[in-house]
Amino acid sequence: MPARPAKKQGAIMVEPELTAEQQKKRDNIRKALREVKNLPTLPGIVSKLTRMADDPDTSTDQMGKLISKDHILAAKLLKLVNSAFYGFPQRISSLNSAIILLGFNVIKSLIISASIFELMEEQDVELWEHSLGCAVICNVVAKRLEINDPEEVSTAGLIHDLGKVAIKMELPRESAEVAALVESAEINRFEAEQRVLGLEHAEVGGWLAKSWNLPAKLVEPIRCHHDPASADNEPLVSAIVHFADIMIRGLGYGHGRDIWVPPLQPRAWELLRFKAADIDEILDEVEEKLWDVKGFSLDIKAEAATTATKG
Amino acid sequence: MVLAKDVEIEGNRVLCGKGTELTPAIIERFQRMDVSHVTVAGRPVPEEGGKTLKEQVHDVEQRFAKVRHIKPLMYLKKRIQQRLIDSRAAGSQKAEDADAGSAGQEAGGDHG
Repeated sequence: MPARPAKKQGAIMVEPELTAEQQKKRDNIRKALREVKNLPTLPGIVSKLTRMADDPDTSTDQMGKLISKDHILAAKLLKLVNSAFYGFPQRISSLNSAIILLGFNVIKSLIISASIFELMEEQDVELWEHSLGCAVICNVVAKRLEINDPEEVSTAGLIHDLGKVAIKMELPRESAEVAALVESAEINRFEAEQRVLGLEHAEVGGWLAKSWNLPAKLVEPIRCHHDPASADNEPLVSAIVHFADIMIRGLGYGHGRDIWVPPLQPRAWELLRFKAADIDEILDEVEEKLWDVKGFSLDIKAEAATTATKG
Repeated sequence: MVLAKDVEIEGNRVLCGKGTELTPAIIERFQRMDVSHVTVAGRPVPEEGGKTLKEQVHDVEQRFAKVRHIKPLMYLKKRIQQRLIDSRAAGSQKAEDADAGSAGQEAGGDHG
């Protein structure tokens, strides 16, 4: 298959040249994803929250009250806020404190991720653990680089593979084909997606996040997590998610047969400006938190089992 | 087995503190309180999948097989492998220490 270097400066990935037939297929898939029927829809509460946030008279208390109307969602939100991904030293027990500490954008994206991950937990525990682990590393790296709002970077890590969920739900046949190709050709999932679908999950996730009006700080890292050099506004956050995805795979939190550590983009490495000692210290910090990820995942599974028994 | 982390229950209450030696009575209490998992020191229970150190190190090698040309990633690979080796060594040393009556342990292990 003819190949051309990826269009972005510093990129090391190679994109295959698309034939007319492949291009047509890609267009059809885009169309299918646009006319989605099965994709997770934005929970009604998010549009209400968006309206409230646009109103300067809205108070944190009012927002907290709205979220607490959905008990399950409120509980999940607090569980996420108190998990290792955000690393707050004190336990946050009220929604109001969570809103103040994390800010509206993070709360909004957490509500979305809580809904998406509900599906992920049922469908794909490995992807769930990979995403949680990625969020942990994002948080450690963001704090190390003294980024404003490290919580937003964690959230980007948590939902960076949103596109995989969308592809699996909307295109189950093609998704199975992708999984089979990953195994038979021993390639990364995004390469298999390019071959089967003509586009990959980062692009799908970015598009979906944009259609949900998530902030650019989240949309770009999702869209660019394989190619942070193509990020226009958030290159550093995209580089962090890119690196966290690599590190968590290196630590064995891959996805199904896609065990491969993807290439590190030179531009991302330049932006992070890490030395060997940084890698060691990050590994130190991350290790214990990853036990929490396992614990968190076990808690969720135990809760699901209890609910199923009660139901 | 010794707890490596506090066991907390709803409301952030500590049910059992780090360093506690687990006895059948304590484990039974955890079960009654619906505690789904705890973190214990060292590696007293076999790892999930029961892989040997050699197999684990080989798995890391495999994961990095497609990025052998990227220097920082080769460093990351080496460090991950070294940590596996060190944690096993620390685990065996601690098991020996425990046998000899000492219980100072640090490495995390998960016991579901």
